[in-house]
Amino acid sequence: MAVLIRRLEEQDEVALFDCGGEPLNNYLRRYAWANQQKSFIGVTYVAIDEGAPRTVIGYFTLATASVPRESFPKNYVRGLPPYDLPLVLLARLAVDRRFTGKGLGHALISEAFKIALRVADDVGCRCIITDAYRNRVDWYARYGFVALEGASESGPQRMFLDMRTIRMALKGTQ
Amino acid sequence: MALKTKQMKKQPQTERATRKSKFQADLAPAEDRMVRGLKQELQLTSNTDFLSDALALFRWAVWERKRGHRIFSETETGERKELVFPRLERVAPELVLPRVEIPWAPRELESLADLASREPAHPTENLIRAMRG
Repeated sequence: MAVLIRRLEEQDEVALFDCGGEPLNNYLRRYAWANQQKSFIGVTYVAIDEGAPRTVIGYFTLATASVPRESFPKNYVRGLPPYDLPLVLLARLAVDRRFTGKGLGHALISEAFKIALRVADDVGCRCIITDAYRNRVDWYARYGFVALEGASESGPQRMFLDMRTIRMALKGTQ
Repeated sequence: MALKTKQMKKQPQTERATRKSKFQADLAPAEDRMVRGLKQELQLTSNTDFLSDALALFRWAVWERKRGHRIFSETETGERKELVFPRLERVAPELVLPRVEIPWAPRELESLADLASREPAHPTENLIRAMRG
């Protein structure tokens, strides 16, 4: 199976996508394209098998955000640069059930890291943040994401990965 | 070059659908010569037609760049030149991700500030593998 990851296109087939999580299925089917092209609040990248180049078998969505410096508690800002903290939000990541266990999640998150690094190089960004489902926290931790304290126990777990760590990983491979 | 649009007088409901905006531009002498030259070459007699065609072309370029497509001209011998126009690059997806607001709990902000101000952690094996591909 030769997998290609590219931006979501209008003609892509998303109706049959099933990752086992209805909110993630629903997002791809109903909102991903509109959010990308009309509202411009998230760019979705899809994995497709080159044998069926319109059928989405996995996806992730990225956006940027920032945390205003004044919203940090005063006794915590000392080590931070004197500006708002820019970040990339890995808003969603999902793999179709029929393709789990084939390394597709790894391929998707690898691409997300590379895009985030490009954004960091071009416009500046300090970290990646994701809101992980509780049963996926360990998976993200394997890539170095660290759980932030203070998330509600019933909702998703917000996680952090420093862009400098990603850069180190890249340098370690060159 | 300063561009101005003129508001038309309030029209009745029936006329509103077909109402046209007036578009006025202050051009430097060189730009004015350029417009006249182009109009002549393209055999356009009115500024409206000129603006309409220019707008269609610009809109197409923005759309292509927004989709991540690059714009080239190609000679008969296959020599290619890429159009790089700074304003167009603002919409290029490889540079642009949309911006969103995300809610934070106070304790999450403390934790974020703490992590972001620390020395970065060493990359995990999986992260190194991810960056290797």
